[in-house]
Amino acid sequence: MSKPDFETFLAESLNNSETHIAPEKDLWQGIEKAISNPAIQQRESSMWPKLAGIAACSVAALLSVQLVFNSPTQDASVAMSDFFAEQKQTLLVQYQDQPALTDNWQQQLTELEDAERAIKQALENEPENPALLKMLAQIYQQQLDLINKVHAPKWQTI
Amino acid sequence: MLIDAKEAFAPPSEDALITQAKMGDQQAYAQLYTLHVKRVYALCLRLLADKEHAEDATQEVFVQLWHKIASFEGQSQFSTWLHSVTSNIAISYLRKHKNWLQKVVSFEQSGMDEQSATDCQGLNGLDKLVLRLPERARMVFVLHAIEGYRHEEIATMLGMAVGSSKSQYHRAKQLLKEWYENE
Repeated sequence: MSKPDFETFLAESLNNSETHIAPEKDLWQGIEKAISNPAIQQRESSMWPKLAGIAACSVAALLSVQLVFNSPTQDASVAMSDFFAEQKQTLLVQYQDQPALTDNWQQQLTELEDAERAIKQALENEPENPALLKMLAQIYQQQLDLINKVHAPKWQTI
Repeated sequence: MLIDAKEAFAPPSEDALITQAKMGDQQAYAQLYTLHVKRVYALCLRLLADKEHAEDATQEVFVQLWHKIASFEGQSQFSTWLHSVTSNIAISYLRKHKNWLQKVVSFEQSGMDEQSATDCQGLNGLDKLVLRLPERARMVFVLHAIEGYRHEEIATMLGMAVGSSKSQYHRAKQLLKEWYENE
């Protein structure tokens, strides 16, 4: 039997579109945790490291913008690298006893660090390239955001 | 006086569950979750084309819904309202989870690979093709063809021109046709 033409297939599929698909995981436990009082308390108790992390990220972003747009020199990228390395280390120490939301966050961090290395390599040839400096700042920002995000208890699940 | 067993032991209606959930009853909310999770997950999976992201977004929908349910006034059907909340959360989820390179270079995310789409449980033939569409074409197709949104509404939701929404829909149909005919 030949298959129907595309328009017939499309019309029939849309008419019989299955709107119910079960997720493979039990998602309720994570939801319950997020909406219940203990979870709120947990969020409140861990608010300070999170706030400190966000503050560090904001300061880092401001500094990077200033460095990139006010003095696009090799010194600027070195100063930016030093500053971010310090912020990153502080966050990692701060969250070392807190469970992470995903198992693969360190792999994601490694990918960002690979990108950081690639941009730094490009900067060696063009140390004053503002686009590269901006990308480097964004990569650092992504790293800090990732560390903060995976240690946020909000969506911790089963 | 005799009690009608069917009435006495019937599960509470959706309206009753919504009223109870509005008052902070988590058990009632869990029942609402059970009633709707498969529809919410189906929509998230179609929009995000990634099982893990769809699971995360589904959780996000139900957590946000818990905080928003008090504002549900019953002017539309609960399922309609839930679909609208789900679509918006899935779109913002996608924006938030773009990786650094996508944000910097602004290139479009491709869809699920053919094998993963084929392996997805519970999907019909069209869905398996839809998951393979590139991001923008997929979102427009799902919102327009499956969810019934108008191109004007989709343009607002996705932050694109109405013409772009129409051309993405056309692009999606062309790709689906090509894949279907080559199957």
